[in-house]
Amino acid sequence: MTSRTRYFVILSLSVVGVGVSSGLVAYYVGFPARAFASQGAEELQYVPRDASVLAYVDVREVMASELRQRVRRAMPVGHEDGQREFQNQTGINIETDIEHVVAYLQADASGGSMPGSGMVLARGLFDEVKIESLMREHGAKVEQYKGKRLIVASPNGVAPAGDPNSTDPVPRNTPPNFALSFLKPGLVAVGNADLIRHAVDLEKGGENVTSNTDLMNRVKSLDFGNAWAVGRFDVLQSAAKLPPGMNQLPAITWFSVTGRVNDAITGVVQAEARNEDAAKNLRDVVRGFLALAKLQAGSQPALQAVIQSLDLGGTDNTVALSFSVPGSVFDLMAPAREKSVEKPAAH
Amino acid sequence: MLWSRRSVFLGLLLGGPVVLAAAIRIVTATTSLWRLSINGARVGGPALFGMMMWLLYIRFIVPVLGVFYGTSLIADEVDDKTITYLFTRPVPRGAILIGKYLAYVACTTLLVLPSVILVYFLVVPLGGGSIGESFPALLEDLGMLIVGLIAYGAVFAWVGARLKRPLVVGLVFAFGWEPAVLLFPGYLKQVTVAYYLQALVPHAMPQDSAVSILMQMFREVPPVATSLTYLAVIVAIALWFAARAVELKEYVLEQ
Repeated sequence: MTSRTRYFVILSLSVVGVGVSSGLVAYYVGFPARAFASQGAEELQYVPRDASVLAYVDVREVMASELRQRVRRAMPVGHEDGQREFQNQTGINIETDIEHVVAYLQADASGGSMPGSGMVLARGLFDEVKIESLMREHGAKVEQYKGKRLIVASPNGVAPAGDPNSTDPVPRNTPPNFALSFLKPGLVAVGNADLIRHAVDLEKGGENVTSNTDLMNRVKSLDFGNAWAVGRFDVLQSAAKLPPGMNQLPAITWFSVTGRVNDAITGVVQAEARNEDAAKNLRDVVRGFLALAKLQAGSQPALQAVIQSLDLGGTDNTVALSFSVPGSVFDLMAPAREKSVEKPAAH
Repeated sequence: MLWSRRSVFLGLLLGGPVVLAAAIRIVTATTSLWRLSINGARVGGPALFGMMMWLLYIRFIVPVLGVFYGTSLIADEVDDKTITYLFTRPVPRGAILIGKYLAYVACTTLLVLPSVILVYFLVVPLGGGSIGESFPALLEDLGMLIVGLIAYGAVFAWVGARLKRPLVVGLVFAFGWEPAVLLFPGYLKQVTVAYYLQALVPHAMPQDSAVSILMQMFREVPPVATSLTYLAVIVAIALWFAARAVELKEYVLEQ
């Protein structure tokens, strides 16, 4: 064997050896859910098994994206009101304090409406003392629940009454209490007080969403994006007060939305119909809407770019609508907004 | 065998998928083209790797390696007029062919496997694909490619030992007969290597062309055990005939 051949054999075997060893290590370390590959999986232990919708946003990446800067330039006023109100209420600055959030919605089994039955788990750097004092200033009340401090505020700013240790749900007609709790250092849960108490219970043990294979398989199949949501559309449809037109859609069982926000926003909205016929009908409906939208977008370049990027696809009982909106679209929106702002001033 | 001009060409051939995979990786990393889709359906890294396995390795590279190396095992010695030296050694002629065939298996395996592994690590993580999750499929791929090289090598070693223009016949068999027969329903496909080899592929066959769709329609996948048995039988028969041809044939060296 010549030295050249020897080097070839050594190099070749090294590549194979290193490759197979790395693959083996990756295989035995485990299969992290794809959409949670880098971060976020720990929060799932606080999400109950029967969550109807599960969502994730990498807030830091979205806030730092080029697209976000474009949106700020295009819409410099007005869009931050909700953000400011949230900061006033909780002391949390979404822009700087939060790394990523995991959120879920839970359909009310008793037939109540969806809003209020949700919780957001935010990971980031939080000033716990400041946040608590700010919420107390707004009438919130601090209670202990299984060793965790819950800062509970009723929706109208009045401190809630009742037994703080009770896990019984609030009476049907009473609006749900809004609460906040630091489940771990750097992890805050915000949302319905009962759901936060349930999250504390889940930390000690119990069935969380990772045992919901239907939902988790769909989460795993998502493309890697910095924002996504997966949920049961049929549960949402029956529990939430959706617009009347939505109830006439062909039977959809699951839906997912995944997107990546950087210098553009690209993503896929996917719906799983009950059967192939329903999927075909849904495709026809979406195709009709797309045709209508193309007609409507004729004279608006910003809207035209969005419509052109839409791509309808899917196989069997799946309908997928992918889109890619370039950041320049938001630049086109800016003059339109400036005009609309200038008009009232002229009168 | 390893440092012939043929090997340099085939080395470039095997470097092609690696370069392609690296280019895809760079493009996806530097632009917002993170989501590959075909007919509206999203294609993640593992699916893209599966497509590359089908289109580049199974349908092209493995048969090409088999044809070029397999047919040259004896033909090269005849062309170089060195076969006389081999045949004067005190070993059976058939053993010389078997030895050269084993050297072919080792060389081609060492050429193909690193290429596949590099492509795997470049492509699979795209679109959030998991290296660990797809690893069993990679092992199946590597095993399948080795089996393919063994089977094609044996068949073309026989062709090379038996026929005067083995390369032409080998190319016609690999890229004419096999794809054509696989398109039609019936029993003819059972006299191909590809029919049994494709049953070992862990990835779905891509429907990239009308031919592929036809192949998919008429695709009958034999069980893995059956495929392996048939491939073993093909290898044994081909090598036996190749060794017998070398034993019996009178090779005339052109002056």
